[in-house]
Amino acid sequence: MPVRGVVTPGSGTLSRIRTREGSRLRDVGVLERVGFVLLLLLLSTSLAAPLFVLDPVISVAPAFQAPSPEHWLGTDDVGQDVFSRVMFGLRTSWLSAVAVIASAIVIGGATGLVAGARGGWVDALLMRLTDAFLALPGPVLAIAVAAALGASLRNTLIGIAVVWWPWYARLVRGEVRALAARPHVDAARLSGVSPMRLMFRHLLPGALPPIIVAASLDVQILVLTLAGLSFLGLGAPPPSPELGAMAARGADYLFASPWIPLAPGCAVFILAVAANLAGDGIRDLFDRG
Amino acid sequence: MAEIPRQTVTPAPLATSLGTASRSSAVADVAGLHVAFRREGRNLQALRGVDLRIQSGEIVGLVGESGSGKTVLGLSMLGLLPKTARTEGTVMVDGVELNGADESTRRRLRRRALGAVFQDPMTSLDPTMRIGRQVQEVAGSTAEALRLLEAVGIPDAQRRLRDFPHELSGGLRQRVMLAIALAARPKLVIADEPTTALDVTVQAQVLALFRRMRDEFGCAILLVTHDLAVASTVADRICVLYGGLVAEVGQVRAVLDHPGHPYTAALMASRIGLHADRDSQLPVIAGEPVQPSSDPVGCNFAPRCPAAAVLCREQRPALAVVSKHGGLAACHFQAGEDVARTLSTIATPWVAAASGRSAGNVTVHRLSVRFPGRRGLRRSEPFDALSDIDLSVAPGEAVALVGESGSGKTTLLRAIAGLQAPTSGRVDLGGGRRPQMVFQDAGSSFTPWLTVGQQLEERVAHLPATVRRERVLEALARLGLPGEVSRVRALQLSGGQRQRAALARAVIEPPDLLLCDEPISALDASLAATVLNLLGRLRRELGFAMVFVTHDLAAARLVADRITVMTRGRIVEEGTPDTVISQPSNPYTQTLLASVPEVATCP
Repeated sequence: MPVRGVVTPGSGTLSRIRTREGSRLRDVGVLERVGFVLLLLLLSTSLAAPLFVLDPVISVAPAFQAPSPEHWLGTDDVGQDVFSRVMFGLRTSWLSAVAVIASAIVIGGATGLVAGARGGWVDALLMRLTDAFLALPGPVLAIAVAAALGASLRNTLIGIAVVWWPWYARLVRGEVRALAARPHVDAARLSGVSPMRLMFRHLLPGALPPIIVAASLDVQILVLTLAGLSFLGLGAPPPSPELGAMAARGADYLFASPWIPLAPGCAVFILAVAANLAGDGIRDLFDRG
Repeated sequence: MAEIPRQTVTPAPLATSLGTASRSSAVADVAGLHVAFRREGRNLQALRGVDLRIQSGEIVGLVGESGSGKTVLGLSMLGLLPKTARTEGTVMVDGVELNGADESTRRRLRRRALGAVFQDPMTSLDPTMRIGRQVQEVAGSTAEALRLLEAVGIPDAQRRLRDFPHELSGGLRQRVMLAIALAARPKLVIADEPTTALDVTVQAQVLALFRRMRDEFGCAILLVTHDLAVASTVADRICVLYGGLVAEVGQVRAVLDHPGHPYTAALMASRIGLHADRDSQLPVIAGEPVQPSSDPVGCNFAPRCPAAAVLCREQRPALAVVSKHGGLAACHFQAGEDVARTLSTIATPWVAAASGRSAGNVTVHRLSVRFPGRRGLRRSEPFDALSDIDLSVAPGEAVALVGESGSGKTTLLRAIAGLQAPTSGRVDLGGGRRPQMVFQDAGSSFTPWLTVGQQLEERVAHLPATVRRERVLEALARLGLPGEVSRVRALQLSGGQRQRAALARAVIEPPDLLLCDEPISALDASLAATVLNLLGRLRRELGFAMVFVTHDLAAARLVADRITVMTRGRIVEEGTPDTVISQPSNPYTQTLLASVPEVATCP
């Protein structure tokens, strides 16, 4: 008896004709593809930046030099190479975003998984805790953390991470609860699988696609949030290369030497747009109606 | 296999052979219809050249197993095929060619001449609009809407006008759908599995309604169903689809009495009726349905046909007149009746039952389950799913729990399985091991991202890895599945293979008690019979006790030693199958019995 590869077309009834299968690259639009490629390009070049750009925190040339073949984006008020600083800034920017998302997935995912899988009072307790954290205003908390522990990139990230995970806890908990009511979970219970295996093999993988979609759309929001906080001075102190701080410090020279504030500003913009488009593309891949 | 005379039939010209009125009175005329879909680089054939004509005012039952193309045929007559479908042939409905017509033509035709009723009315009705508005939108006036709702038998229709779809029961919703379908005075109504999701008693009422509607409104109805009995109670003519081709078409009674096609005969033989033989297995035809990706040269059915000859594998049979019923069948030898005779003589007796296992009786003692009502804005009362249930199952005994939706039968099953905590009372497994369960939808009882093998192994996790794999292969082989099934995911299997895989998981370590939750209610006749045969065989070989939940008294009678009828969370009747079927004492049981659709044939 051969193993059949595919469910027959329209094996459902008329009202259920739309089929839902695995992801399909064909459904992703052109813009989203461009965004995805651009993002990959930005990520890989900025990761490799230390190999080919100048040291971003020392003066390498006279100050206020316009863009030239030696200094592609000119030099700033203390003679640092703006291109080098932008590349490093990009790297910090998206690595920070990834760090916050990763922490949110781990903390929020674990909370949501346990709450959804256990249900009952465990669920109630964990979700009320989550609600409490959701009520905290993110940027204000970040400012408070920075004020208490001193302004540094790490402290800003902690401040953001504290308010970021509850969204993932809610997302994962919702998915897991929906999955837990499905027959395959009952079947696994009757097979006598351990609670751990039930959570990690039978429940969690089903919550992964929405997590990936949420995470990919979050990159853009975090890049902008972090740039904003850094613009306000909540980030690594100067002369660390951070896009927000660079734009803030360069704002004085907007008319005399526009490349100094505009280069980091445009970098944030391009990174955010690319991340957004890529996020849309990933959503299209996973979330097919 | 018995000797089957081989005498080929010469196809007659189609026009003379239909034995019905002239071509002009046909409300729908499908000719040479091919429909194919492209998926993952493969060509999937849903229809491979279908001819079907529906006269005005007649009810045609379109019968076939899932994948036979019956739904696609219904869709193409509604002009609702997805854009990705590639079609060939003609679909004339009320004088308009639908194949290749643009969207506005198709929409105009739908509005003028077509009505549709689907399996799940909840997805077809607008949940935010009162049903009166929804009917009136098509009917034109509230008075007309009211008249229609009364015509389809909605009690207190005046008040119901202001109800939302979720406030109605499934049966009432389906009646509203029918009212909407009829509102525009269509010439043809396409009903796809309209009663599959309904309780048997409601199904009987809705089916009767279809006949009345035809008489009153004069519309033709195409009733798409997997259930031969449903088709035979309502339809004037029946059309049997197999593998995207018409196998047989003709007057219902005549076709079922004298089938010309072996597949029709097989469907008849394997149907689960109230009078099937309990002492032997149901006759079934082995094999898998035609794969949509394949392109058989000869007869579609040849690989499974007991009467197949060389000619069948080389040449596709055309539809030819069957003299016994005046309709058409696509079989070189018109071997239907021979196959029917052969199938009726090969009664495979059950194997001797193994002795019951050592565990004691499974007893349910004064069990109640109450679901708390919702508090807050949208209050609801608490609901007693089970009230004071007492039940005892002896080792090796098979008990059928029969009831309709809401009777509490599934809740009782889940409570025995330990998946539902009782509000009061207790379940005593009599020292037996954890019961196993077979679910209604075998596909969804497997975790989609794990392979079948991984999930079978979970039941024998205490064994070393190599032994586990051996046991998995053994269990699959016991259910007639090849070893490669263990490496694929359940969604890649066919419906029949999924059911077998689910059974393999249940018996890889034989349980003391197997719980079955409507395991055959969504299956086609041949598959349902196969699953019942498998359950009967496994139970006797492995000696486990069984609780079989079903809404179908005929199936209950076949599998069980004892039938327990439930309604509204209580047991209302209990007894041996023959007592319950022949002398039902409770009025509810009598209603259930009267509602079982039977294939009406001459003895």
